[in-house]
Amino acid sequence: MDFSLNEEQRSWQVKARKFALEEIRPISLARDAIPDPREAFDWEIIKKGSRLGFRTMAVPRKWGGQGTDFVTQALVMAELAKADSAISKTFSQCWKWSHLIAAVCTDEQKERFLKPFLADDTFLLGKGISEPNAGSDNRLPPADDPRAGLKLRAERKGDEWILNGEKCFIANASVGKLFFIDARTNPDVPLREGTTMFMVPRDTPGFRIGKVFNKSGWRFYQNGEMIFENARVPHANVVGRANASDMKSQGGDRTGGDIFGDLELAANALGVCEDACEQALAYARTRTQGGKPLFEQQLVQLKLNRMHMLTEALRSFVLRVAWEHDQKMHSTNPGLAMNFSTDVIQEVTELNLEIHCDADGGMDRRADKLVRDSFIWSHLAGDSVQRMKVARRLAK
Amino acid sequence: MYNLRLSSEQLEIRDTVRDFVEREIKPVCLKAERLEALDRRLPMDLLEEASQLGLRTLALSEERGGAGADALTSCIVTEELAAGDPDIAATLAETSALARTLFDQLMSQGQRDRFLPQFLRDDRYHLAFADREPGNDDTLGVNYHRPETSDTPIKTSAVRAGNVWVIDGVKDCVANAPVAKLIAVRARTGTKGVSTLLVPRETPGLSVREHDPAEGWAHGPCGEVVFKDCRVPAENLLDQELERTDRGGWFQALNLGIGRAAHDAALDYAKLRVQGGRRIIEHQAIGAKLAGIAIRLEVARSIVWQAAWASDHPEAVADRSLADLPHAIIARVFTSEAVYHAVKDAAECFGAMGVMRDMPLQKYVHDALVCLHPGHGASEAKLRIAEALAGYRRHPAPPVRIAESI
Repeated sequence: MDFSLNEEQRSWQVKARKFALEEIRPISLARDAIPDPREAFDWEIIKKGSRLGFRTMAVPRKWGGQGTDFVTQALVMAELAKADSAISKTFSQCWKWSHLIAAVCTDEQKERFLKPFLADDTFLLGKGISEPNAGSDNRLPPADDPRAGLKLRAERKGDEWILNGEKCFIANASVGKLFFIDARTNPDVPLREGTTMFMVPRDTPGFRIGKVFNKSGWRFYQNGEMIFENARVPHANVVGRANASDMKSQGGDRTGGDIFGDLELAANALGVCEDACEQALAYARTRTQGGKPLFEQQLVQLKLNRMHMLTEALRSFVLRVAWEHDQKMHSTNPGLAMNFSTDVIQEVTELNLEIHCDADGGMDRRADKLVRDSFIWSHLAGDSVQRMKVARRLAK
Repeated sequence: MYNLRLSSEQLEIRDTVRDFVEREIKPVCLKAERLEALDRRLPMDLLEEASQLGLRTLALSEERGGAGADALTSCIVTEELAAGDPDIAATLAETSALARTLFDQLMSQGQRDRFLPQFLRDDRYHLAFADREPGNDDTLGVNYHRPETSDTPIKTSAVRAGNVWVIDGVKDCVANAPVAKLIAVRARTGTKGVSTLLVPRETPGLSVREHDPAEGWAHGPCGEVVFKDCRVPAENLLDQELERTDRGGWFQALNLGIGRAAHDAALDYAKLRVQGGRRIIEHQAIGAKLAGIAIRLEVARSIVWQAAWASDHPEAVADRSLADLPHAIIARVFTSEAVYHAVKDAAECFGAMGVMRDMPLQKYVHDALVCLHPGHGASEAKLRIAEALAGYRRHPAPPVRIAESI
């Protein structure tokens, strides 16, 4: 076994660390504190990061991207998340869908979408699945209720599809230029057999963005409503085959889409945990109580031990999963790592808050932010559906 | 004899408060704009209405114009109020507890005559106890099981000048300070040590700076109190010292109310929301989660009530019915952990909606976190329990403590 990083991986890691420290961290708390969720976003940091390659690094070299491997992607996500989890996610959200474009889009589609994506520092990507009455049903469609799941309707009309319905909680909704939208093209069969994925550019007629959700954590990250009122999407924008939005069933790259999303959340959590560990240790060494550093107290040492133990275990798991991606190995490990990252990020950030709060009456703003950010994992990575889904993969 | 039967008065007051919360508090406090944890204004009108129901003077004895509620009844009322709004619950509980300690136990007849009539008359008259000073750490984490004390001495001083006491100093994190019309302050009084003085809000030289809610980490209004050449009549000195080493006994009841609000919300939602072809409560994963929430809250309520009952019946420890333990601290620690877990689980039942600021669930999570980490050595609570288990006595003659008296 060899845990060492190669030259390229190390250089991306160092570049990400520098960008995170010098550019992201200084704006992180201020962005988090902005009351209007739409205003919490900042284009400057996206442009700066994009110029360094953090927006496009997952696009294969032959299409003009940096073609980084998954270990590098995991390292960069963690480094960026260490400064701000939501800003890291905004970048990696673009990787998730650039994997998909590269893997399953036709060359004609790549010309139309991948090239502008690469050329424009403000070109962000998103994917629309969730709807007000379809969250868990999309992830784990019930066998006994074929009509369950998303309802957004797409009907073929000549060379176009007409979309009607709405989406909610959609990532990058208010800032994205291109969205991958799942729509029901046959409402009478189960979700997986009657859903088609469309590429929907921002300026599609009949398509608009509603409100941006006011989340407690991940304030920078834009989750919004999408409204489709006779939105007209060319047939040429269908991703893969009609009635088969599930890329896995189309033989697409299994490291794209959902499975990358598992690694993504685990790697992001790792960065947040590193931040919490560093904060807690620094605070314990410098803050005194009764004239002595907090660190001298046994209870504080036990908390710091647990925080570091969990964080290092997560680091091992994340890098193993990333390495397995690079080896084209497929298993339930990405899902398990994602589930595990939920438990770890929440406990570690809670312990950091505890160390800060115990000594100070007021809260520490950053310690509080990390706990709020970690709460996002509850419904994305560690809810019972995400855990059962992985268990079912195990039993297959 | 073991009896958990509430009296008809207790049942009646619980129903009255629950009804008040449903009718008056929830429609105001569950509006999206008040759910922002960092931007909470205290609804003074509701506090006034609550006072008219007798909740501000709940624990004050009947002969002095209150309801004479015991600790158990106060806990029941506080839980109900906190299920609607913890800030309202905290403000009322603090005033009610202090009213009993100050008017019933500590004030002389003369002091009572001067302050009680106004207190009873004015529905917006609240009480505060200014004890903590900036930079004054709790040090049990350092001094656990060690006799030496590195407690910073009280810096606020009261100097006698003829017929007045001149108070100078700063107090911080004073609960109710922004709404209090009478503040009891602990100060160094010469060689005599530490005493408590009564300072009416309008006294020249007294100023209050309300904590910015964005930095606040407390339930109820909280602030800094500054005394600058602040003069009160000599007769404002209390004969006995008032000291509080723990948050009031109502604190765990408030915490329980937060948990119950989250439980009720999750249960209602789980009965309505359909995913996976059925109502989500019909899925094992959610059903077991709701059961876990209910278990935590029921056990927490048992320990909160036991602690309250123990403080109402000190003889139960004397006759060995109950172990001689710091029941209130045990209840507080258990409840804060149980409720935080319960509230997190409740939020998870809501999926993505559980993380939205304009939904009540994130408010409950924040409120439960504040109870879990109220600051100032909260984790020292376990050390305090441990010292009690070991029979280690830190204070040979404890002064009157609100924590144990309610």
